[in-house]
Amino acid sequence: MMQRRTLLKSLPLAAAGLAGAGALTSCGSSGSGGEGGSNGELTWMSVVHTPTTPEASGPVETGLKEMTGASFSYQWVPDASKEEKVNAALASSSVADITTLNQLVMPSIRSALTSGLFWDVEEHLAEFPNLARINEAVIAGAKVDGALYGVPFQQPLARYGVLVRKDWLDRLGLEVPHTVEALGEVAQAFTEGDPTGTGAATTGFIDRAESFAVGFRSLAGYFGAGCKFELDPSGKVVPTFTTDAFKEAMEWYRNAYANGWVNQEFVTMQKQNQEQAIAQDKGGIVVTGLFSGRGYTTLAESIDPETEVEWALINDMTYADVPRRIVSDTGGGMGGLMSFSTQSLSTEDDLHRALSLIDALMEPDCHLLMSNGVEGTHFEKDANGAIEIIDQTLWEQQIQPYAGSIPTNDDTPLYRSTDEMVNLANELISENDEYAVIDVSQPLTSVAYDTSWGTIHQAVNDAYNQYMVGQIDMAGFEDVVDQQRSAGMDDVIAEFTASYESTL
Amino acid sequence: MVADPEIDTRPDATVGAHDAAAAQRPPVQRRRTSLARRMWRYRTLYLMALPGIVYFLVFKYLPMGGLIISFQEYRPFLGILGSPWVGFEHFVRLFTEDTFFMLLRNTLVLSLLLMLISFPVPIVLALLLNELRSKIFQRSVQTIIYIPHFMSWVIVVSIFYVMLTTDSGAINNLIVALGGEPIGFLTDPDWLRPMYVFQHVWRTAGWGTIVYLAALTAVDMSLYEAAEIDGANRWKQTWHITLPAIRATIIVLFILSIGDFLELGFEHMFLLLNSMNREVGEIFDTFVYTAGIQNGQLSFATAVGLFKGLVGLILVVGANSLAKRLGEEGVY
Repeated sequence: MMQRRTLLKSLPLAAAGLAGAGALTSCGSSGSGGEGGSNGELTWMSVVHTPTTPEASGPVETGLKEMTGASFSYQWVPDASKEEKVNAALASSSVADITTLNQLVMPSIRSALTSGLFWDVEEHLAEFPNLARINEAVIAGAKVDGALYGVPFQQPLARYGVLVRKDWLDRLGLEVPHTVEALGEVAQAFTEGDPTGTGAATTGFIDRAESFAVGFRSLAGYFGAGCKFELDPSGKVVPTFTTDAFKEAMEWYRNAYANGWVNQEFVTMQKQNQEQAIAQDKGGIVVTGLFSGRGYTTLAESIDPETEVEWALINDMTYADVPRRIVSDTGGGMGGLMSFSTQSLSTEDDLHRALSLIDALMEPDCHLLMSNGVEGTHFEKDANGAIEIIDQTLWEQQIQPYAGSIPTNDDTPLYRSTDEMVNLANELISENDEYAVIDVSQPLTSVAYDTSWGTIHQAVNDAYNQYMVGQIDMAGFEDVVDQQRSAGMDDVIAEFTASYESTL
Repeated sequence: MVADPEIDTRPDATVGAHDAAAAQRPPVQRRRTSLARRMWRYRTLYLMALPGIVYFLVFKYLPMGGLIISFQEYRPFLGILGSPWVGFEHFVRLFTEDTFFMLLRNTLVLSLLLMLISFPVPIVLALLLNELRSKIFQRSVQTIIYIPHFMSWVIVVSIFYVMLTTDSGAINNLIVALGGEPIGFLTDPDWLRPMYVFQHVWRTAGWGTIVYLAALTAVDMSLYEAAEIDGANRWKQTWHITLPAIRATIIVLFILSIGDFLELGFEHMFLLLNSMNREVGEIFDTFVYTAGIQNGQLSFATAVGLFKGLVGLILVVGANSLAKRLGEEGVY
């Protein structure tokens, strides 16, 4: 009896002790892989930016299946957790047939791409009429180690700008700012004055937890800082946070924060909370995509239909004598790749089946359906062919989730909207092209980057946040950056520089 | 399932027959045949245990094979068989990086705080509830305090976020209204540990109380009557009768909670972490997640997880043998 008792009882115990260690290795086993081989249904792991995922039986997927004749289904990954989901899928080699990879600069994705998990599609593109017309420059920018591991999404070079509440400016008698200096004065006026006319407490900037990687990165660009990595005067490829321009921007923004011109707890604020705070008149300046103004207005209207909220979209912000510039938020117009698994699409025939689906989605009909929905249900065309969304709620539920899954090429039409704000944003974004600053490291390779950049980036991000709220001073921030040198940053710089020089 | 009549109805006879049979054979042969025979004899029991054994093999032991990647430079596409072997490189990195001591310190401090504060709370609550006269009141209190158990950490942390944020959170509004300075509960490193422990107590205490209340119902009422006749007051009765009666339960739960000693719960801490409080808040679980799943350093993260699992195992075995030495039952 004793023998059996010991055996059975010690099983769960030992398991409990090591379960923690096993958790990481076991998590991948439940991932669902692609089954695209041998004419099965194609699976597509794509990113959804909206809070909810669309119904598979909705108008878009039914319509697309009819138009393309292909059988496929989406596996949705929320934008906020795409790194985790993609990494978990990569770790267990259970990627879908088609995978949308937005973050090519993410170290683990680079190593996955170069290890042969995905097809090199460059030579196949010419066989498909729409894929063949993808911009050469976009293809060049989408290459990793000289190979094209997927069909690139084509996007504007830089979509960012500064959004300022126009109705607040008017109430306070201020002009729309076009310099950083004027922007500071507006932030001060919004904080100290009464821009809402109700006496409610307000501030200038509404920032969020991703400040370092998103909003502030764009702001620092106005001061002359590059896009993630830049060439320093000695010809080295260095991270932008080591440059003087970046630190100058930090000092400027720190001063704004210390004066109360930035929401004080932005470090804990998530994207949804930020949008809520903006809609609730907590602040009047946002450094974000120029297209966001439309969404902010809609949200404010949903709270109060009578709201007078009006946003000024600014794309020509400059600082001191630094020429007009804007850092790219789309990886240099390359919004990511649709990559094809070599494991589930084992033969070239399988690959061609998947490519022809993407090719078909570029057809105008499919594109219209994925962007605007069904005419009469979601939108109407006016006499000039401009599109008006007639059921915003339905559009947000059924169509908007596909925004991150629309393949495009040079011929893709840009729809004119009856909403002037949407058209204005599109114009301003295309104006940005001329001034866009692109990450020089994107086509370069570095093993050190792949293995240690995640840790370095987080350490510097933390230090930035600590500096902003006043936990450490600039010397403390520089100390943290210097510590990263021995933790792999110097290797990254050396390898990127060598890689850059070899391309000259 | 049909029960084996031999086991259920005549256990003594079985053992007797077994002994008699064994006496007739040489000792060496006896051991071998009797194991196989006994397995056959108790086949119904083994059959019943089978699903459990298979569960642990498939979901707990089999995945442990994956731990091998902590000794490799694991590349998903190359797989476990194809990835290059690097020996103890990841462990050397773990023990030589400053991060390790931060992780160890944070994990130990938080675990100790939970042991000292969160573990006794359900015992005290159970004793207090047990003293209540009104059964209806007791039941309703009991129900209300275990409701938080059914809320996920996301909900718990969100509720606290809304109340504690300095951007017009309820608590800070109150502090300001009373003339104080707003407190950065969510970002101040000094507040992270109190907040973590408080949330833990709030969510888990009510549930833990139920276990102790169940143990308390098993206490023989005549003991209390006898103590009363001897002149013991309520406090003495609690100290000398109630507590000793549930001592075994307390010890078993204590050993089990030591098993979770380094298992602070990834989800809870992950939701509370931000750049400001990472220095005191980053624990092994959150680090494994950031390093492994977010940054894709799978091998290194596995090495960290393996280390943590080993420490947890040593602690459980240690606590259990200590309990046995003190004359208690232990968990195995």
